[in-house]
This record gives sequence, C-alpha cells and structure tokens, in this order.
Amino acid sequence: MTGAQAAGVSGREADGAAASAVKAMQADGRHAEARERYAELVGRHQRRATRIAFHYMRDAAEADEAVQDAFVKAYSHLSSFREELPFEVWFTRILINGCLDRIKARTRRERWIAPMPEGPGGERDFAERMPGRSPSPEDQLLARERREALSRALARLPERQRSVFMLSHFEGCTSREVSALTGLNESTVRVHLFRAIRKLRTLLGNSGDAGASVEKRRVHS
Amino acid sequence: MSILDRLRLSGHLDDAALAAIWTDAAAAGGQPTHPHLQACAGCRSRFASFASWLTDLREDAAGQVDELFPPERLAAQHAQIFRRLEAAERPARIIAFPKFAQPLTSRTSNGSRWIAAAAAAGLIVGVGVGQMMDIRRSLGGPAASAGPGSPAYVQLANNQRPDRPELRTISANGREEAFLSEVDVTLSRPAVPELRALDEFTPRAGEPAPKVH
Repeated sequence: MTGAQAAGVSGREADGAAASAVKAMQADGRHAEARERYAELVGRHQRRATRIAFHYMRDAAEADEAVQDAFVKAYSHLSSFREELPFEVWFTRILINGCLDRIKARTRRERWIAPMPEGPGGERDFAERMPGRSPSPEDQLLARERREALSRALARLPERQRSVFMLSHFEGCTSREVSALTGLNESTVRVHLFRAIRKLRTLLGNSGDAGASVEKRRVHS
Repeated sequence: MSILDRLRLSGHLDDAALAAIWTDAAAAGGQPTHPHLQACAGCRSRFASFASWLTDLREDAAGQVDELFPPERLAAQHAQIFRRLEAAERPARIIAFPKFAQPLTSRTSNGSRWIAAAAAAGLIVGVGVGQMMDIRRSLGGPAASAGPGSPAYVQLANNQRPDRPELRTISANGREEAFLSEVDVTLSRPAVPELRALDEFTPRAGEPAPKVH
C-alpha cells in the first residue's frame, strides 16, 4: 500500500467517524457542536469539491454556488448517510448531481436569454482578475492559452467521457470509485476513459500541429 | 482484435495503444506492465512522453482552479456555507409590520382639516344642486329656463309642418299641480288622428268595464 493510499484510507476512516459524530449530534439537537464537527469535513473536501464543480460548470461563480449547495445539502441530509459507503463518494454524488442539475438549468436559460457580452479582456469573474503567480507575462500568457485550449477540448468531450476523465485523471479516483460515483460499470468507465484520452489527444494534438504549421509558414515567409 | 493484440503483430505502439496501456494502469492504480514497454526503449520513451502530456493536462487543470480559487476565496466560501447552515437551523422569524415613527394624525393641522371638510361639503352641495336643476329642467323643458312666475307659452314642436298634427300649447306658470294636470289631460287624448278610432276601443285603467250586450 502506497503512502497516498494509506492516507486515503485513514482519511476515509476519519470522514466516517466525523460524519457519524455529526449525525449523532444532530439527532441529540446539539446543532452548534454538529456544525463545528462538520467544519472538519468541509475543510477536508472543499478544495477537491471546488475542482470537480469547476470542471463541470466551467464558471467560477457557478462552481462556488454548487459547492455551497452540496455541503448544505449533505449536512441537512446526513441522517440518510450510510456508514458503509465512504463519505467522499456519497458527498461527491450529491455534488455531481447538483452540477448536472445546474447545467441543465443553464442550458434551458441560455435557450431563452441572449448571452451578456464579456468585458474587454474577456473577464467574467473577479477571481480571474487576481494577479497570477507566474514569473513573466509570457509564461502567464502561454499558460492561459494552454488552459483555454484544455478547457475547450474538455468542453467538446461527451458528458460521460468528461466526467470519467476528470474523476480518474484529475481527481485520481480508481475505476471502482468512478463507477461508484457515476453509477457506470467499471468496464464502461475504462472504455470512456480510453475514448476521452484519445479524443483529447486528437483535439489538443491537432491544435498543436496547427500552431506548429502556422509557425512554419511564418518562418518560410 | 484488440488494440494491444494488433500492436503485437505490427511491432511498435501507436497512440491508441499507449492510451489503452495508460488507461489499464490508471484503472488498476499502478504502473504499466506491458511486455512491449519493457522490451522496446523507443516505445518506453514515447509512453513516458504520453504520460507526461497527461500529467501536464492535470497540472494545467489544477493550476487553473487554484488560480480561480485562492485560499481567501475558499475561506469566504467556507464562511458562507456555515452562515447558510446556521440560517437553516434558526426557526423562522416573523417580522412585525413596520410601525410609523410618528402617528399619522399628528401630521395634519386643524386648518387643513377645515379645508378638507369645506371642499367635501362644497362637492356635496354642488352635486345636489346639479341634480335638482336637471330634474326641474326635465320637468319644465325649455320653459323652465324662463324663470318661475313669468308666464311662458312654449311651442313644443314646430307646427308649421302640415303633416304633423297640431300640438297643444301648455302653460307653465310655476304652479306644478296645474302644470301636471294639464300634462295628464294632454297625454290622455290621442294626438294622432289615425289612432283615435283604435283608442276608442281600448279600455283604460280605472274605467268601468264596458257592458256586453
């Protein structure tokens, strides 16, 4: 067992213990204590939840709201949490379902409402205006271009492939965990992961080739 | 035939085969253990660059989220979650109807009250007089405008036209009783000669029923 896996197991045990304690406190009516204990769970899963929500929503403000909703919902429905299932899996399912609901609502909304034009720099969120930590503007620009290309490529993946790829690769879940989170078979998870990687390779590889050919043309001219 | 079988026949690993090997390793949560990778240094190096491309993708994605969600924003998010939890647990508050700082009556003075009362009284008197005038006008017709007490004889219709029957003139000297009885008498007689014969046959209310012979 690797260190990360051992940490994962011990983290899961701690999650299970915290969730059971919060549940018992809620049942006893000790709400302030329950919230205090729940803060431990929130702190442990907040960053990961934000990452997952952002990869689904592709919008920082909406991801923020989706994470808040998921934690509030998980707290209020903790009585239905079964200890034999890892808290992480139970919570991530709540989060993913919430994100999918939001995406559906957004799609419905966008059908009727014309999109607002973005600002002059294409900025949509205050966090996007925060100064980066890259050492030079060139690096910053390159990193931004790469991320935008990745975002575009991810957005072009079918929803299941994107979910499986994000959970497997970005969040480091095993196929069994992804299967528990998405409700797909393990073999289906592998197929989706394989197809997602191939498609990303094609999308990002083609854009890279295109960039290279443009560069070549510039050199020749 | 699977991709891995095909690559055994063809020799070196292509992109799809690399992806398949990487997927299998990732799903199992371990290192790739394909025999061709152990034997072929070229494919091993291509697999390493493939894996490093995927690692770059992960780092880019993580970097993007880290940039968008710095620790301050996560702390604000954390605080907001617990504000919402607290708010959800508090019993619903009933907000009382807002009270006025000063009673409404204190704003009105006596003078303005008198003005309002006078305006209301004026309105009522005006409406009443208007109604009375309308009634008198409808009863007296244009003669009423001549003024009470003055003898006025009014031609009710133009009797210059030969096809119209002659209409009686009625006097309206201000005495209503006499005027009304004259109106009754005038109305009791048929004004149209063609209908006079028919009128003779028609019994009137208050008259005794004709005896049948």
